[in-house]
Amino acid sequence: MKKFMFLLMASMLFLSACGGFNLGENDSSGGDGSNEEGDSEETTASGSEEAEEGEKIVLDFWTYWGSEQRRPVIDKIIEDFNNSQDGIEVKHTYVPWGDIWTKNLAAIAAGDPPDVIINDINTVKLRAQEGQIEPITEYLDEETKNSFYDQMMEASTFEDEIYALPFNTDTQILFYNKDQFEEAGLDPGSPPSTWAEAEEYGNQLDIQENGDFERIGFYPLIGAGNDVWMVNALGENYITEDGEVNINTPPVQDTFEWILGQKEKYGENTITSINSQFENAQQDPFMSGKISMMVQNANYYVELRDFAQDMNFGVAPLPEKEEDSGHTSWGGGFVAEVPKGAKDPEASAEFIKYLTNHASQLYWAENNFDLVANEEASIAAAESDEFSDKGQEVYSLMIENMERTQLTPQPVVAPDYASTINPVFESIISEKTDVDEGLEKAQTELERIVENNK
Amino acid sequence: MYNNGKMKFWRAFNFVLLLAGSLFMIAPLFWMISISLKTMEEIYRGEFTFIPEDIQFSNFTDIFTVAPFGTYFINTAVITVIVVLANVFVNAYIAYGFAKIEFKGRGPLFIIVLSTMMLPGFITLIPQYVIFAKLGLVNTYYPLILPALFGSAFNIFLLRQFFKGVPNSMIEAAKMEGANHFQIFFKIALPMIKPALFTVAIFSFNGVWNDFLGPLLYLNDESLYTLQLGLQVFKEQSNTQWNYLMAGSLLVLLPVIVLFFFFQRYFIEGSNILGNTDEK
Repeated sequence: MKKFMFLLMASMLFLSACGGFNLGENDSSGGDGSNEEGDSEETTASGSEEAEEGEKIVLDFWTYWGSEQRRPVIDKIIEDFNNSQDGIEVKHTYVPWGDIWTKNLAAIAAGDPPDVIINDINTVKLRAQEGQIEPITEYLDEETKNSFYDQMMEASTFEDEIYALPFNTDTQILFYNKDQFEEAGLDPGSPPSTWAEAEEYGNQLDIQENGDFERIGFYPLIGAGNDVWMVNALGENYITEDGEVNINTPPVQDTFEWILGQKEKYGENTITSINSQFENAQQDPFMSGKISMMVQNANYYVELRDFAQDMNFGVAPLPEKEEDSGHTSWGGGFVAEVPKGAKDPEASAEFIKYLTNHASQLYWAENNFDLVANEEASIAAAESDEFSDKGQEVYSLMIENMERTQLTPQPVVAPDYASTINPVFESIISEKTDVDEGLEKAQTELERIVENNK
Repeated sequence: MYNNGKMKFWRAFNFVLLLAGSLFMIAPLFWMISISLKTMEEIYRGEFTFIPEDIQFSNFTDIFTVAPFGTYFINTAVITVIVVLANVFVNAYIAYGFAKIEFKGRGPLFIIVLSTMMLPGFITLIPQYVIFAKLGLVNTYYPLILPALFGSAFNIFLLRQFFKGVPNSMIEAAKMEGANHFQIFFKIALPMIKPALFTVAIFSFNGVWNDFLGPLLYLNDESLYTLQLGLQVFKEQSNTQWNYLMAGSLLVLLPVIVLFFFFQRYFIEGSNILGNTDEK
């Protein structure tokens, strides 16, 4: 027994020593290919070539695109880039969604960041202010600067310096079930255009049995949050870039009244049950026909295409608050940026330019049905043969919708403002606070945050 | 006092109660298995069915084409084996010292060791990361393994309590026979606290096998990734491949379950130890 224990311990120490050493050395030698099984020969060959030239820069590129749909697409773009020139070799690393940015922050703090990373567009300005990203303005020509949707480029700029190039975006649109429209005596060709219509159509689409709702026609907060409707009502975010707060205003008051009016009809239980199905994302009330209309990120089309083939649905811009108030929508998106301390920002920028050029963006759009930030590439994608007619229809609407899509970059005067005031909005919606009182509270709190950060 | 009929009734009652309880506990596992065998279409339709209408065993093989789970498995196993063995040996070694060897400053030192338990792991995370980065050890397994070689306060405390239960008279007797502390430690003390060692082993196995944050922070090379990192490829921004995620999670869970059945006796004994401080 004792001998066995001793041997075990000795071997463990030995293992830990050499196991660690081997693995450690293998990758600190960089670019060599012991990591990618399968093509190790190929990479070793290029590794020795590198040594001879001694010039090739190896860039670490972190993305959260590890799924079977996205990974092959980005890997192909990287491969094309690597083959297109001799100076730079990009190495792709998948890091889990969400955690990728935590890891990035730790790596920046330790002075060992990746060279290019995909990051959230709405927080670029904050990172720029905190000194977490390298400006790349000097590496960009005018043509590059002008090839993206304006609002995305604006969100990537801080104090006249460009800190990132936009990669992809999304926009919220209305999805509706055409069969259910027909069944309820509505015209499947004309979706609701105003809030009042949405509510009215919703009433017609509702199905009630013994007081319980078997089907919900429309409830604003399924698929979208109150912030989307606030942007829709105001035509812009409720906090501007310089910190002007527009929460306690008539359009926002109307927004909450409108939402609460419909909530009263359906009742807390119905809403909670539908929303919980949505949140756990394991079921989909729209696909299962339990809800007839809802606002969603336009990319939701892909899920309908892949998992609900028989569904007869239509898409439309967000209903507007009242006629001519504007079908304003909300969007987010992602950028490619150079973390502070990256070894060669110029080389990183070179790769970012490739990533966001027409060809790469079109390829990405066609294969992921993602709205890309490069405007011309997105327009070309809308006509792509890779998409079905339905796909082209949705994609065209996404592009059209970009004209009225507002991004909500976090202003540097109110970083992370949403986490402070969202609880106030929640308490209004759960009717713990009445609308006027709640909005006044949210307004004052947000103003105070702005004051403290100025 | 009970007559036979009453006895039978209570046994049946207990049985039903336990059965209901265990069904309740095990239902999520069945749900997991059920989802892992469904198609995404069926999952999205949202019907509450345990038996998939079109059983997809292929989910379990498909996941290997999305990510190299074989490599991840080996990586995780290597780290786990080393850390578990290190945890058991190192902590026992330190604990023996605190329990059975008189030395100056033992009390204060032990308090210092214990006080490290007060620091939540999250607080030391970033400084520790920066240290390992400065040492050039990021993107190796060292940061995941080295800390285990220096003991953990909780395990030291646990094992010390057990070593205290080893009678001093035995140690004195061994000393008289000419044994030194190393011999006493290996030949007498360790075998006597086997259940406690298994407890430490099992708990540290669980901790390392399921560790997400450590590998996430320290590993940059996908070929070094562990299972917990690998599982994340099925989760993306807006959609999750639930069937693959559940299939993958089941495979990751499998060794834990196998281990449980193997060491069930010790596992339960171990939990009792933790729940009950006055061992004899």
